[in-house]
Amino acid sequence: MKNSSSWIKRVVGAITLLMVAVLFAGCSSAKGAAKKVVHISYWHVNAQTQGGASVDELVKNFNKTHKYIKVTAKYNPNMYQGLMQNLQSAQASGKVPDIAQVGWAYTNYFASNFKYLTPTDAQNKFDSSKTFISKNFSKRTLSFAKDSKGNLVGLPYSLSTPILYYNKTMLDKYGISASSLSTWEGVSTAAKKIKEASGEYGLYIQEPGDTWAQQAMLLSNGAQIKKNGKATFASAAGVKAYQFYQDMVVKDKTALHTPWAQGIDDFVNGKVAIAYTTVAQASHIKKSANFNVEAITSPHFKGSTATVPVGGSMLAITAQKTEKQKAAWTFEKYMYKNSSLVTWTKGTGYLPPTQGALSSQAFKSYLNENPMLKPATSQIKTAVPWTSFPKNGLQAEQTMIDARDKILSGSSVQDTLKSAQEKINEQQ
Amino acid sequence: MSSNSKKNRFLTIAYLSPTAIILLVFMIIPIIYTLYLSFFDWNLIAPTKDFVGLKNYTSIFTDPVNRKVLLNTVFYILLLLVLNFLIPYFISIIVKFFISKMQTSYKIIFFIPSLFSLVVGAMLFSWIMNPVSGPVAFFVRYLGVALPNWTNSGAMAIVMLCLITNWKVFGYNFVLLLTGLGSVPQNIIDATKMDNIPKWRMVWDIVLPLNKSIAFYVLILTIVQGLQYVFTPISVITQGGPYYGSSNILYHTYLNAFVLYKTGNASALAVITFLIFLVLLYLEIRFVEGRTDRYE
Repeated sequence: MKNSSSWIKRVVGAITLLMVAVLFAGCSSAKGAAKKVVHISYWHVNAQTQGGASVDELVKNFNKTHKYIKVTAKYNPNMYQGLMQNLQSAQASGKVPDIAQVGWAYTNYFASNFKYLTPTDAQNKFDSSKTFISKNFSKRTLSFAKDSKGNLVGLPYSLSTPILYYNKTMLDKYGISASSLSTWEGVSTAAKKIKEASGEYGLYIQEPGDTWAQQAMLLSNGAQIKKNGKATFASAAGVKAYQFYQDMVVKDKTALHTPWAQGIDDFVNGKVAIAYTTVAQASHIKKSANFNVEAITSPHFKGSTATVPVGGSMLAITAQKTEKQKAAWTFEKYMYKNSSLVTWTKGTGYLPPTQGALSSQAFKSYLNENPMLKPATSQIKTAVPWTSFPKNGLQAEQTMIDARDKILSGSSVQDTLKSAQEKINEQQ
Repeated sequence: MSSNSKKNRFLTIAYLSPTAIILLVFMIIPIIYTLYLSFFDWNLIAPTKDFVGLKNYTSIFTDPVNRKVLLNTVFYILLLLVLNFLIPYFISIIVKFFISKMQTSYKIIFFIPSLFSLVVGAMLFSWIMNPVSGPVAFFVRYLGVALPNWTNSGAMAIVMLCLITNWKVFGYNFVLLLTGLGSVPQNIIDATKMDNIPKWRMVWDIVLPLNKSIAFYVLILTIVQGLQYVFTPISVITQGGPYYGSSNILYHTYLNAFVLYKTGNASALAVITFLIFLVLLYLEIRFVEGRTDRYE
C-alpha cells in the first residue's frame, strides 16, 4: 500500500516537473523572440525587520506588472554608510547598481564622486510630458535632495523628522501636562520635576553616529548650522542652545548622556521620561514600552520657531546604459505611486515624500491608527535639508560628533563649538 | 639523480603555489598597496590621489586624537594581558596542579563562550550592563549603590570592552595553556614529590620555564588577537566614544578608512600597526623557536 502510493507520487511529481519545464521553455522562447528583458538592480538598506519585507513586496508586484523589466533588490547591511561602502567597491570593479538609496548626509559626497543620472535629466530623456517631478514633489521636499551647487541629485524617498516621545503614565503621575513640553525650557522644567520626585532621568536626546537631533535643537533656537557653504553653528544662538543641553546633562543631571541603543532601552524601560529621537523609532517604541506613550512635535526655544532637519534618503539612478536608465526611471515612478508609498510607509515608519501620498485616504487612515506619526508629518512642511558640507562633508559631520562628545563630557561650549567650526571651515 | 631533483623542485613549487598565490593576492599585494596609499591624500574613489609625502605619518604622532588613540591602545594591551593571559594562566595552573577533580568540566565550561559570536556577546553585555535600566544596575540599586555610567568615561568603557573580549577569549587561552601544562613530563613532577619540594616551587622553578614557549605564544596571541577582537564591542557599543576615549588603533583605522574615507591617514595607521605586530612576531619566533631547540 505504502509502496504504491509513493510510486504514484513520484510519477505525478515527474509529470508536473516536465510540464513546468515545457511551460518555462515556451515562455522564454516567446519572450526572447519579441523583446529583450532588461534586468536592473536596486540597492536598499532595509533589513527584513526594517521594511525589507515591503521592498520585496514592491519589487515583486513591479516585476509582475512589467513584462520587460526585471528588478532585483539587494539589501546592504549597516544602513546608508554600508551601502556607500559597497557602492565604492562596485564603482571600482565597474559593476554599479542601477538604482540606489543614498542617505542625505552623503548627498555631496555622492554627487562629486559617482556617475549618476539626475531625475531632471531622466524626465527629459524618457517622458513625453515633463511634469512628473513638479507634480508630485513640493519645492521644499525637492530641496532636501539638492547638492551644494543646487542640482537635484535624486528624488526624495524616505523622510523622517525628530519628535518628542513622552511617557504619559509618568508625566501624569507627577502632574506634568504635555502642552508644557512645546518649548525646551518647558522640557527642562519637567525633567527637573521628574528628577526630584522620582530620581529618574527626565530627558534623553538621541546620540547616534550623527548630530541630527542636536542640529534640530540649535536650529530651533534660531541658529544656523551653515551659511554660504561655511559652518556658522558657533553663533551666540548656537552656543546658548548647546549650553542649555550641557547644563541639563552635566550640571542638573536631568538629561541622560549615553549611546543611542541604550538610551532608547532606558526610555522604554521607564527610566527616562522624555525621549527626543527620530519618528522611525515609533513602531519600536510602541511595541516595547509597557506604559502609555505619546509623541508631540519638536520643541523650540522661547522666542524662536521649531525647525528640524529632515532625515532619510533619496533614490538615485546610477545605471550607465540608456536602456537600463529607462528601466530604472520606470521603476522609480512605480515606487512613487501612492499605493507603493503607503506600503513603504507602513513597512518602515518613514513618511511619504509626495503630496499625493500624504493626502491619500490610505495614508490618512494609517495616521489615525498610529497617532505618533502625526507630529512628524506636520513638521515635514517646515523641515529644512540636512546640513551637508560641500567639501569633506563626512569629516565635518565627525567634527560635529566630536564636539558633541566633548561638550557632554563638560568641556567649555563656546571654545569647543568655535574650534569645531574653524576646523570645518579650514577644509571648505 | 638530476631528473629526480628537478622533479622534486617542480613538486615543491606545485605544492606551495596555491598557498603562495593566495598569500600574494590577499596579503602581500594589499600590504604593499597600503604602504603606497599611506603617502597620498585620497578619498577611496576620486580619480586623483594627491601625493603628500610623510604628512600622514607625522600627523599620527602630532594629532592629539591619534596620540590619545595610541595611548588607549597601550592601555588595552596591558589590560588584555592581565585579563586574557595572566588570569587564565594562573587558573590553568591551579586547575592542573592543585585541583585533581573535574578538570574536563572546567575546560568545557570555560570554553563555551568562545563559541559565541562577539556581536551577540557585545549586544548582550550592553543590555546587561546598561547603567540606567539593565539588570545589573537594577540589582546594585537594590543594594543601595548606583552603577556608574561607564559609556561616558573612556577608562571605564575600555575596562568594560576588555571584559567583553575576556568573556570570549578566556576559555580558548585557558585550554591552550592547560594543554601546554599537560606536556610537562610527569616523571619530573613525580620526582619533586619524592623530594618533598613544595608545589609552588615546583611550579615556579620547573613548570613555568618548561612551559615558556606555549606561554609566549599565548602572550603574543593575546596582544594581536585581543586588539582585533576588541574591535567588535567598540563598534557595537561605543563607536570609539566618548571623544575617542575607548577607540584603539584598529578601530581608528577603520573609522578613517570606511567612515571618513581618509584613506591616507588610515593606511599610515595600518602601516604603523603592521610594524608593531612585526616586532612582536619577531620576538615570538625568537623566543618560541629558541626554547624548543634547547629542550629537544
